[in-house]
Parts: sequence; C-alpha cells; structure tokens
Amino acid sequence: MSGVEIAALSFVVFLALAVIRVPIALAMLLCGVVGTTILTGSETAVLASFKSLAYSTFGNYTLTIVPLFLLMGQFASRGGISQALFRAANAFLGHCPGGLAMAAVGASAGFGAVSGSSIATAATMAEVAMPEMKRFGYAGSLSTGSLAAGGTLGVLIPPSFVLVIYAVLAEQNIIKLFIAAIVPGVLAAVGYIITIGIVARLKPDLAPRQDRANWRERFRALIDVWPVLLVFVVVIGGIYWGWFSPTESAAVGAVATGTIAAVNGGLNWRSFFEALRQTAVSVGMIFFIILGAAAYNTFFAFAGLPQSLAELVLSASANPFLIVAVILLIYFVLGTVMDSLSMILLTVPIFFPLVMGLDFGMTADDTAIWFGILVLIGAEIGLITPPVGMNLFIINSMSKGVPISETYRGVLPFIASDIVRTGLLLTFPILTIGLVRLLF
Amino acid sequence: MRGKPGFVCTVDGLMSLASNTSSRGLAPKLETRIGGIIGRWALWLAVLGGLLLVALALLTIVSVVGRGASSSFGVLGPVRGDFELVIMGTAIAVFAFLPYAQYRRGHVAMEIATNWTSPHTKALLAMIADVLMTGAAFLIAWRLHAGLLDKIGNGETTFIVGIPTWLGYAGSAVGAWTMVAVSLYTVWRSLNEWLGGGEQ
Repeated sequence: MSGVEIAALSFVVFLALAVIRVPIALAMLLCGVVGTTILTGSETAVLASFKSLAYSTFGNYTLTIVPLFLLMGQFASRGGISQALFRAANAFLGHCPGGLAMAAVGASAGFGAVSGSSIATAATMAEVAMPEMKRFGYAGSLSTGSLAAGGTLGVLIPPSFVLVIYAVLAEQNIIKLFIAAIVPGVLAAVGYIITIGIVARLKPDLAPRQDRANWRERFRALIDVWPVLLVFVVVIGGIYWGWFSPTESAAVGAVATGTIAAVNGGLNWRSFFEALRQTAVSVGMIFFIILGAAAYNTFFAFAGLPQSLAELVLSASANPFLIVAVILLIYFVLGTVMDSLSMILLTVPIFFPLVMGLDFGMTADDTAIWFGILVLIGAEIGLITPPVGMNLFIINSMSKGVPISETYRGVLPFIASDIVRTGLLLTFPILTIGLVRLLF
Repeated sequence: MRGKPGFVCTVDGLMSLASNTSSRGLAPKLETRIGGIIGRWALWLAVLGGLLLVALALLTIVSVVGRGASSSFGVLGPVRGDFELVIMGTAIAVFAFLPYAQYRRGHVAMEIATNWTSPHTKALLAMIADVLMTGAAFLIAWRLHAGLLDKIGNGETTFIVGIPTWLGYAGSAVGAWTMVAVSLYTVWRSLNEWLGGGEQ
C-alpha cells in the first residue's frame, strides 16, 4: 500500500472510532501513532517523537495565548459584563420584532470582544438572555437558535483562539488575522439580526413585542459596557500599536478582565476558583485535541498526503475560487459531524499549501489571511450545524423543556445567513483584507 | 452530549460529575471511594495548574511594565527570559489540566450514532474509549518520562536564563502520570456503570 492509501484507510478507522464515541482527540492520536508505525515499519520513530511531542506542543509560546484567552472569557462571564451588554443591546433593539433575540446576538458580538471562545460566549449569553426570552414568551426554537448562532460570534470577533491556532499552523501574523476578522464578524452579527427580523415578521407568535426604550435609558445602558471597550482596545490595540506581543496582550487581557470582574463584585474567591476549574476542563480538552491532531498530522506528512493532494488539485487546473469553494463545502460537510477545532487542526496543514499554490490575484500574505478567515467561518458554521454542533448542545442543555429537534429547526435560518455571508466573503476578498490593507 | 440536568448552568455543564451510585459491578463501594480520592486529586492539580497560569499572566505583566519603564524612564526592565518561564509553566499547567478533563468526561466526542443507544450500550462504549485513553495516557507519560531522563542526562538548559529543561519535564510528568491513574479509574467507573444501570 502507498502512503496515501494508508492515510485514506486510517481516516476510515478514525471515523469508525469517532462514531462509537471515542473522543475525537484520542481517535486522532491513535490513528497517528498506529499509522506512523505501519508506514515506517517500526515503532522507533513514534517512540522517539513522543519523548518531546507532548511537551513541545503544550509549551508553544504562541499557543500560550489560548489558555489565557479562555481564562479571560471565564472572568468576563463572571464580571457582570454579559448582563450590561445585554441591557445595552436590548435598549437599542428590544422594540423590534424579535428584539430580545436580536439583543442576545448583539450582546454576544460584544462579548466576543472579550472572549476568545464560542462555547463560553454561547453559555454566558444564554444564562443572561434565556430567562428574559422565556419571560416574554419567545418560542424555544428562536431563542435557542439565536443564542447558538450568536455564540459563534465569540470566536469570530477578535480576539479568537481559533485564529491563534490558524496563525500557528499557517505561520501568519496574528494581529493581521484579528483585524481581518472584524468586518466579517460585524457582517455576521448584522446578518443574524436581519435573520431574526425576517423570522419574527413571518411568524410573529414566535416573538412577542416589547416597549421601546427612550434615548436616556439607552445612553445609561451604554455607559455600563465600558469594560468591554477597554479590554478590546487594550488587547487588540496593544498588539497593533506594538505595546505587547500577542501572548503579553492575552495576559494583560486576562488580568484586566479579572480585575474588572473583581471590582464589579462578580468575582470573589469562590467564583475565581470556579473560573480556574472550568478553564482547566476547556484547556485540557483543547490541548488534547491539539496533541491528537499533531500526532495525526505527523503521520499525514510522512504519508506525503499534502503534496499528493496539492499535485492532484493543481493538475486539475480549475478556477482557484472554485477550489476554495469546494474546500469550504468540505468544511461544511465535515462540520456537521466533527468538532470544528479538530477539523481546522487536521485540514489546515493539508489545504493551506494547496491554497497558497493557487493564484487569486492577491499577495501571498493577503491570500493566507483571507483563507484563514474563510476557514474560521467554515469552522464556526460547524458549531451550529446539526447533528453535531457544540453550541447547539450547550444551549440546548441550558434550556429545559426545549427538545433538541426544536433547536435544530431554530438554527436553520441562521445557517442560511451564514451561507450567504460565506458566499460574499468568498467572492469579494476585499471585505476581509480591506481593513488590513488600510491599517498596515 | 452527556448532559445531566441540574448541573447545566455552567460552561462545562455538559460534563457531568458522575459517581457510581449503583450497588452492582466490580467492588462498587471501593470504586466510589477511590473515585472520590482520585477526583479530588485531579481537581487540586487542575486548580494548581490554574494558579500557575494566573501567576504566569502576572509575571508577563510585570515584565511588560518593566520594559515600558525602562524604555520611557530608563529604570527597571523586563523580566529576563520571561517567555522561557511562560513556555515551561504553560506546559506544566496544561499537563495538570488533562487528568481533570478526563475525570469530568470533558473530551469532545461525536454523538451521531449514540443518540439512540441505550445508557447501557453508552457505558460499554465509554469503557472502550476509557481503555484506549489509558493506553494513550500511558504512552504519553512513559515517553515524557524517557524525555525527562534524557534531559537530566544531557544537562540541557534554557537559552537565556539557563533553567534546566528537565524541570519543565518533571513538572509535566506529575500531570502525565496522574492522567494514567485517572484514566485507569475511569475504566473502572464505566465498567461498573455498564454492569449497573448504564451511563449516568
């Protein structure tokens, strides 16, 4: 068997393991270890590489941003920031049809600016917005759908830990990626709000109306969200203006958010330890996925998979944009069954060299950034596509009495909005790289 | 996801803290007791890792402030080799988090074929996964340990501050071997759930 054949076979084994509920990280690790052993004909290479693989994967200076961002998100969810954001968004949007759901999306976008992860954003905003939507008689499908979709803004709006991982995989500049994500992130939020407006107009019984807030109330609510603005400016601006390295800015962001939460009274010793505990579980989960993918990718590289695939695609000489569209389609399909982080970690090392070999009429840097944002969006859609979407599970587990099928149904309009936006970003790369060109 | 109502208001609410309350299985009482001890051990290690992470963040800030003061006022300076400490500390912290994530069933799994299986079958599948996890945990810990012995043997140090590299490996080994112990325990836990009333 050739290397590529063994790789293909290993992928079947990987899927089989995943289907019987072996954790995805573990399935990748095992396939990588066994595959490399078969390919090299002995276990020597694997045993030698594992002497340092885990340690050097966990102790990667750029990746140290990830636990710090997750810690920042944990502090942010305990600092009353989410409530303030929801109040402010609701003061502006509350009177529209589906206003509470719109406010949840708007607040999620704001929360995304202090949280690097989608799951934390979804869970935090659900805690705040779900009881309100229930009180006003919102349908379970609309409330869970909008919160699950809104949660994806946590990872889309910078800072974003998925972009950090892409930056490591593709050796790209983190701050340029963060800035490139701003316009697509805002587009996503606007798209979701429009979607809610349409759904609520078509089926008014899903979302009863509330009263309009006056401007005085609006401004008062807006003042309370200053910590979000401060943290965002310090973290993103701090890197952009060269005050700190990305890791340093993550440290500053985490400590600043923790301090704000403590001053606001939301963070005491008890909730501080709770934040550490939850950070431990998500960091453990994420880094185990990173390790599993590293082992699997080592095997893919041994098998020559990236080169073979790139040669195959280049020889087909199709329209480069079409090729990226096909890659996004693959993400869409994979994302329905796989978690998005594993998907990015597994596929970027394979797809990135391929995409960089194509000509889009842009510089290599621009192409890499543009593709990174598209990958991020592909992964983000994977978080809300049934049957396997992390956000759907989280929101659904937090809303008692809403069956998962209703959540699946409620999220469909948002997926449609995502597809439209992906099409726009694919066709007009300037939407993504315009701001980067302007600022650098 | 393996959710358990009543514990769902938190991010990892879907990773329920199940302890076996069934009276069937392999020494269920002992398993519950050992589970309590192992769980507390994993939790403390995770919290220590978290505190280490916070300490690294603070160290980084001290370094940033020092660097700023030195470039603006010519006093103080950055912490020498701060990023070496951050790298080492993060590796140790991540290793410290792994056992707790396993104990809390925190790892992401696909849930397509299993949405319709009985709690009984789920427990059996979980046991298979836990056995595989034990194998992987042992491979990681065993090789890390070999790496540790190598680093002690060759006396490698970090580039700027000259901290012996083996210290990072030794700190990580605590988490790695705990991971083996926790994974072994989770096999026992899911075995008893399988023999008992299914996954809880």
